[in-house]
Amino acid sequence: MLLLLALAGVAVLSSIAVLLTRDNFYASLYMSATLIMVAGVYALFDLQPVFVLIVFIFVGAIGIVTVALAATYRFAPERQISGLWALPVIITAFILGYSVYASPLVSSEKIQFALENFITPEYLLLILFLTALIILLMLSVLKMGVGEREGGKS
Amino acid sequence: MQAIELSIIYVTSFAILLVGYLTAISSKDLIRLLIALELMFGAVFMSLIPLFSAISNAAFGIAIITIFTSSGELLVLIAAIVTLDRQKKNIYTSSVTIGGDKV
Repeated sequence: MLLLLALAGVAVLSSIAVLLTRDNFYASLYMSATLIMVAGVYALFDLQPVFVLIVFIFVGAIGIVTVALAATYRFAPERQISGLWALPVIITAFILGYSVYASPLVSSEKIQFALENFITPEYLLLILFLTALIILLMLSVLKMGVGEREGGKS
Repeated sequence: MQAIELSIIYVTSFAILLVGYLTAISSKDLIRLLIALELMFGAVFMSLIPLFSAISNAAFGIAIITIFTSSGELLVLIAAIVTLDRQKKNIYTSSVTIGGDKV
């Protein structure tokens, strides 16, 4: 439990660093650190497939693209946060706390997850559809970029 | 999974989500908005852990959907950054003047 507390604490601290830093580049690095800590919690509970997914795909691909974008457009933005946001935050925290307290999720059993059980035709179809969606989105982004460049030349 | 571990996970998830929201509403440019959204996805991943003890296959499916959604969000925001940079020569969110209400 001490390790879980340490991972969770570092994750929260690095996420607060994202909010407090003025430089987008450092903010993206702190964000990657937060996500790696979240993945570390998965490893702590022996959920290796999700750990690999988060570290190698979520942080390794998406996070690094964000770091590259932040390094390209690097400047310090100003912040403005209203104190009135505290009210919905407190209400949400209360509802979340109560739902956790009342939920039947608490059990003393160890988490049992095997990747082999997940690979069923239904889930494979889901992954296939999601991959097709991402390819369509990538083609749209490419078309926007190429189309605007050609429009600018003419 | 013990109750105290569950509490730590949910409190951490909520804290990261809250920081993500605060970063999003205080962001002045699209890069910071992208970082805030990814933080929120990190919070979603954190809150998924207890589900693995009850419905592990569905939880893994939700994790995969979250990763694909995050990839889609990244692609859309890259398109938005490129388009805004070409049209307005900056990526400040204040450059977008269409839509929204004035309070």
